[in-house]
Amino acid sequence: MAAFVQLVILGLLAGGVYVAVGVGFGLVWGVLNIVNLAHGALVIVGGYITWQLFTAFGLDPFLTLPVDAVALFVLGYALQRGVINRIIRAPLLFTFLLTFGLNLVIVNILLLIFGSDFRSVTPTYSGQGFEIGGIVVPYVRLTSLGAAILLSAGLAFLLSRTRIGLAIHAIAADRDAAQLVGIDLRHAYAVTYGLGAACAGVAGGLIAMIQAITPTAGEPYTLQAFVVVILGGLGRVSATVVGGLAFGLVEAFGQSIPGSGSVFANAIAFGLMVLVLVTRPQGLMGRLR
Amino acid sequence: MSTTAEPQLELRGVTKRFGGVGAVDGVTFQVERGEILGIIGPNGAGKTTLLNCISGVHRVDGGDIRWEGRSITGMAPHRVARLGIGRTFQIVRPFGSMTVRENAAVGALFGSSAARRGPKQAFEIADQVLELVGLKAKAGQPVSALTIPDRKRLEVARAVATRPQLLLLDEVMAGLNNVEIDEALEMVRAVHATGVTVLLIEHVMRVIVGICRRAIVLDFGHVLAEGEPEVVLRDERVIKAYLGERYAKRLRTERGQDSPS
Repeated sequence: MAAFVQLVILGLLAGGVYVAVGVGFGLVWGVLNIVNLAHGALVIVGGYITWQLFTAFGLDPFLTLPVDAVALFVLGYALQRGVINRIIRAPLLFTFLLTFGLNLVIVNILLLIFGSDFRSVTPTYSGQGFEIGGIVVPYVRLTSLGAAILLSAGLAFLLSRTRIGLAIHAIAADRDAAQLVGIDLRHAYAVTYGLGAACAGVAGGLIAMIQAITPTAGEPYTLQAFVVVILGGLGRVSATVVGGLAFGLVEAFGQSIPGSGSVFANAIAFGLMVLVLVTRPQGLMGRLR
Repeated sequence: MSTTAEPQLELRGVTKRFGGVGAVDGVTFQVERGEILGIIGPNGAGKTTLLNCISGVHRVDGGDIRWEGRSITGMAPHRVARLGIGRTFQIVRPFGSMTVRENAAVGALFGSSAARRGPKQAFEIADQVLELVGLKAKAGQPVSALTIPDRKRLEVARAVATRPQLLLLDEVMAGLNNVEIDEALEMVRAVHATGVTVLLIEHVMRVIVGICRRAIVLDFGHVLAEGEPEVVLRDERVIKAYLGERYAKRLRTERGQDSPS
């Protein structure tokens, strides 16, 4: 029983990172209809910013998260405004090609700047935790989950309560109609992608505290984001939160099966995605349109 | 109403071609402040294309569109909307994921830039506009729960919420029954009474005759006739455009027979 509870706790804690990775990806997909293949690369950019601020200035890695968010928002806004907006009405394949290309460019720039060494962020409290009744809870993981939930809540608030949030809802529903009530499409698109990138940046900061990063480490996160968004259901932040936590749980249980490694855990997670697509295509939390 | 002599909106030789075909071909007319101007014409006459040119959805191939004396030709749709030109779609296009009230609020939140509004004010404006068009009781409902006439009301509400000085209505009465048309006419009158100039495209002649002082007839992208609706509708060229040469001839001979008796 204790082992079971431990697995649930670890799974939920690991899910925090997946929530953070998923929310930005889901926003960009749901609103812009772009499956952003550069998402993982943006995650890693966030990871490097956190690493740089931690090693150069000794900043606490959790305090670097707002910096990640702001820097990636600016980068994302510029990418959308300058590059992706040009093909926003093109078929899905074009956005695949373009974001895949952006992914390569970002990864190679990171390689030029930081080299291919693995970097990790290890504050004094990393690896520590507390214990309640035989259940171990690592500090970093717990705070990461908190940060991811906070990030999602902030995003949900922004989308439902603010001027730009309503504009994003409107462009997601009908671009042309949105334009004719006075919404600047290109700006709203760019803000959406910027927000997606900002979430990716925060996710990267969290990931850098949990495992070592290298410029090419981003691709699995694009895949995981994809699975998380499908699990939860496209179109709502809360659904992505559920998807991320579910992904964490499934992975934790998958890894606990004797003789299985992380590869097997991934297979289980993707198998679950296929199962969800077959039985409940709108996702665990999604609404049919 | 205004001290300036210039019309509110002026089109000078506006032309829009699709693959060499002139959908709108050298259209010139003016819209005066405070009037209700009707645009009629057979299917494919270029009426919706013309609205798309005015609202910036289409880039015109020739001519000039002037708003209060300034050229707005080639301006992006959202900037045209912010100048104070509201617009509805022939086939209603509400924001499906939102409630009725939220739809109207998005209009109020953006739209005419004369007054910047925050979300709270926008919802207040939304409530006022929903009352004006008779949708107040359904404010909290999702759009999917609305009937077709109500969706048309919402389409108008969203455009009115942008606080336009000129409202372009694209066949808001199409597909409505007689009772619903009367209600919709009341709605347009109510909106007009708040000081909004109205330019409406309509197929239902009763509507044009009922609320327009002036009508313009489009045919194959040209202005065919312009004037009082009753006069314009009796114009032989107009009858020919709608009903064909043979019918116009028959009508002519019938009239010839009718007048002596």
